[in-house]
Parts: sequence; C-alpha cells; structure tokens
Amino acid sequence: MKKVTVQDQGVVEKAKCHAAAIGVAMKESVYPLTATVQYPRQRKKMPDNFRGYILFDPDKCINCWECAFVCPANAIRMKEAPNKKYYPTIDYGKCIFCHFCIDSCTDGALRTTKIHDVAYKDMDEMVTLTEEMIEPPEIVREDTKLVEYLIDDKDLQMKKTREVDNLFVDEVPPSVEIPVVSQCIDGASCIGCHVCEYVCGSGAISSSIANGVMNMAIDTDMCTGCGLCVKECTMQILKLVRK
Amino acid sequence: MHDADIKACEEVIKMATVAESKWEIKVPDKPLKDKVYFENLKSVVIDTEICSRCLTCASVCPGGITVVGDKVDFPDYETKCLDCGACVRVCPRFVYEPLSGMGPSTAFIAGRSKRFAGQDGAMVTELIVSAMEMGIIDRGLFAGRNENWETEMFHVRDPEQLAITTLSGTKYTFADVLPELKKAVKFTKNGVGVVGTPCIVSGVRKLQQEYPIFREKIKLVVGLFCTENFHYSAISQYLRDKGVDFSKLVKTDITMGKFIATMTDNEVKFKVKALEEILPSGCNVCCDFTAVEADVSVGSVGSVPGFSTISVREPIAQKILDYIKKQGYAEFGEGDPGQLGFLVGHKKKRAENLKK
Repeated sequence: MKKVTVQDQGVVEKAKCHAAAIGVAMKESVYPLTATVQYPRQRKKMPDNFRGYILFDPDKCINCWECAFVCPANAIRMKEAPNKKYYPTIDYGKCIFCHFCIDSCTDGALRTTKIHDVAYKDMDEMVTLTEEMIEPPEIVREDTKLVEYLIDDKDLQMKKTREVDNLFVDEVPPSVEIPVVSQCIDGASCIGCHVCEYVCGSGAISSSIANGVMNMAIDTDMCTGCGLCVKECTMQILKLVRK
Repeated sequence: MHDADIKACEEVIKMATVAESKWEIKVPDKPLKDKVYFENLKSVVIDTEICSRCLTCASVCPGGITVVGDKVDFPDYETKCLDCGACVRVCPRFVYEPLSGMGPSTAFIAGRSKRFAGQDGAMVTELIVSAMEMGIIDRGLFAGRNENWETEMFHVRDPEQLAITTLSGTKYTFADVLPELKKAVKFTKNGVGVVGTPCIVSGVRKLQQEYPIFREKIKLVVGLFCTENFHYSAISQYLRDKGVDFSKLVKTDITMGKFIATMTDNEVKFKVKALEEILPSGCNVCCDFTAVEADVSVGSVGSVPGFSTISVREPIAQKILDYIKKQGYAEFGEGDPGQLGFLVGHKKKRAENLKK
C-alpha cells in the first residue's frame, strides 16, 4: 500500500492560501453569493440551442413523418389536417426533450424555444395539437433579472443583469450536417410506379420512356436528401447515402 | 485507424451497397394500348375467368389491387392506377402456359412428422421449422384461421409460436399469402419460407423471375398437392347448408373422394364431386396438381394413411430432409407415384373438358 503524503508547500505559500481564505470569508459575510437562481424573479440565460418547448411551422412541413418515426418516446402522433396533409402533435407527457424530431426535420418546420415552464392541469391537456404548436404557449413572466453562470479558471461566477431574455430563437445555430442524397440500391427490383417522382418536392427524380425501357434518374445536385422518396418507395430499394 | 484501413472499409461499404442514381425498368407490352395496365390485366385474366386469385398482383401493386367479393379488383382504377405494369409483369396467368405432371422430381418419399400432429400440415410444418433450425430461413409464412374459419396469415419466427392450434389443419379456402410475403421479404434478414397451393407457388416463382429482391430473400417454397380451392363465402355457405356449425368444427378433410367435416359432436360427410358447383373458375383451367415449380411438394395422396407424400425437386429440400432424418424428427417410408398419376390426369382432363 502506498501512503499519500501532503506536499510541503513552504511557509510563504501556506500564508498566501490562508490570507485568500480569510478574504473570501470576509467577502461572503458582507455580500453573500449564492449559486441559486431566484426563479421566477430571475431567469437563467439559456443557450440558443436549448431543448425546450417545440414550435411548428406548417408551411415548411413536407409531410415526411420523419419526426414521428424518429421519436424514441413515441410522443409524436401524426394527425390529418383539413387540407388532407398530416401534421405532428406532441404529447408532452411522453416527450423526453431529446429534440431528435427537430434534428431530423429536413426543412426546418420544427424549431426550438427557450421555454421550459409550461403548466398543465391534467394529462389530457399535455397532448399538444398542431394548431397549438404554431403559436408559443401563454406563459406568465415575472422575471426582471437574467442570470448567467461564468466559469473562469478558478471559480464559478454568477453574472446578474437587469434585462428580460428573449425566449424565441430566430436563428438556430448551424449544426454540422452530413450531406446525403437518395440513391437506388437495386434498380432491377424497381416496379416503375413513379411514386418517388410524385412525392419529390425538389424535382430531382425524373423518368423517360424510350424503346420500351423506362429510364429513371436522380439528379444528385438537386436532391435535398429529405428522404421522402426513401420512405414512400413501395419496394424499399431507395436509400440515403453520403454525398 | 490508419488512412489505409479507412479506405479499405469504405471500399467494402461501396461494394456492399451498389447505389446508383440511374436505372432502367422493363416496360411490359399492353394488349390494349390506350388503357392502363390494370384494365389490361382485367380484360386478359379477370374477365376471362382464368384468374386463380393468387394475389401476386396485389403483392406488388403500389395502388390498391384487392379482393372485392370473390374477385380480384381495383376500385376506381381509372383514376388510381399508377400504370406501372407490375401487375401484368408478375401475373402467372397473363401469359398462361398451363403446367402439369410431376415436375423434375428427384425423389418420392412418404413421411410422418413425430413432432407435429396432423397429416400434410404436420410435414409442411416440419420442413419449415427444420429449415429455421438449420438457419436457412428466419421466418415462415403460415395460413391460420379465425373462429369463423376465415384464413389469416401468420409470420412464424419461433417454433414455439406453432402452439397456436388454429395454424394446423386444412381450410380449403384461399389465403392471402403473397401480400404477406412482400412484408416478410421486407423484414427478413436471412430468408423466408413460404407454403402455398400450385397457383401461389407459380406466383412466387414469377415474382422471383422478375425482381431480384424476391430471388434473394425467398429461400424455400413448399408446394401443396391441390385439386381445387374454394372462396370463403361459397364454401362457408355450402357447409352451413349441409348443417355444419362453425363454432363446433374441429377439422375438415378430404379422403377417398369424400369431404368430411368433423365437429365436436357430429360429422358431416358428402362426396367431393358435389362441390363442383361452387368450384372457382380459376381452378377449372388449372392442370397443376403437384405444384411442379416448388422446391418440394407435400400431399396426402400416394402414401399409406397417416403418411404424407413428399416430392423432392431441389437440392435445398433434399438437404432439409437429410437433416430431419439425422435428427429423427420424422419417420419415412416408400412413396407411390402411381396413385398421384391418377389425380394429375384427373385435373388435366377436367381442364381440357371445360375448354371444350
């Protein structure tokens, strides 16, 4: 067994440490610092990519259902809207705020906010319908101060400023995106139903008939990698591959 | 990892999935030039009453080919048909060359399963389960039934699932095997085993001929000896008229030219010939009794009572039978192809007579 011995720092260094400790004790006795945010009068400053309440923009939605497929908590249900399209609804009783749905959303129809304090009366109310996701929820703001934690090399500092934080993120910080395109992995098994061509919003998939043979082509420059054709392909022979 | 290793890995990934942005599709011929493909199929197969209701077309149709009443149909096909031609490509009767005889059989054996109860069904189950044990397939498609004796398809992935008693026993009713087969092909990792009547076997072979995805994934095709099959609505009505109570029905069977429906307290017997009045039109033209295109065919004709005749055609079926023999799962005897010849001839004759 090895015995741990305390390093002898010398008299000067010891005296310096004691002096610093006395200094901190005196400072705390005059102006005590706490690490606690006095919510709701104060609010912590959240980063722009904070995983909070989710907002939805139906104009940007391409109906790919990717959010519902990716949701690990099964919180997202697609519901039919009057315009025959399917839009997501979120059950916040199930949502684990992983925001995979936002990450998977190809056209930015889902976006995050810094809202983390929405109250519900019962479980049924937690099922948030599409129309409730378009506008931010009603929340009572009592906060007057914004708290920010700063970490310098020695200590955790609390910076309080007298301002009200904007809880809406206008521009999401860009994430590292791996460009993908749709490709066919088994052309011989294609039945030629053109479903991929019909659903493609960017017009990247085209077909032409010549001499009794149908030629299908995917323009890799135009393909946005949304994966709608991959989902709809009846023979499951389309795949997203790295560009 | 070294750069060289990463490059090697990328090479392997590329080889595993050949992704392409351009591909070609065969466009089948249309007898009716200005009509959609489904209308062509309808005029050539369905309206001429040679459709066998194998549902091969429904299994590939991206639109909505389905069964309406007793017939294969596509409601609103004028607007909903995508005109892809997949249905006419896979239909075994669009360009119909009737098959008959025994097929290229290498061996005739009589067998009886020790593990499963029943006759032909037991031997078929034995073949599929043994193939699953050998690792050839990881999924088998079985036709079960509900309490009204309507057929339902089951994906069997574990032999324990076979404890469901409704899976065994002949139903003499069409089953929607092929639409389920497409699902099975999508989900399988190793391969799928499928059981079917001769028309279903023909449909499977046609799918395999046209699309590589089916060629790769369907590993075992077990055929059943079949003289005819019935629409559920027709046979259920017929049996009810004869006094069969479906809630008490235990099993149905055809032996020595007689249809026997066994109930818990009673038995209803009548000659099979009487069923000819409800014989589906598609079965009238069929000459294939032994499912000549299957890897292996099973039926009760041609062996002593209790045993099933197994007609082996492909090496894979022989391998499975060798495995069953080695494990002692079944007992075997000699098969007699002579008896089979009579029914093969009978089915051919019936088709020829009707043609006249």
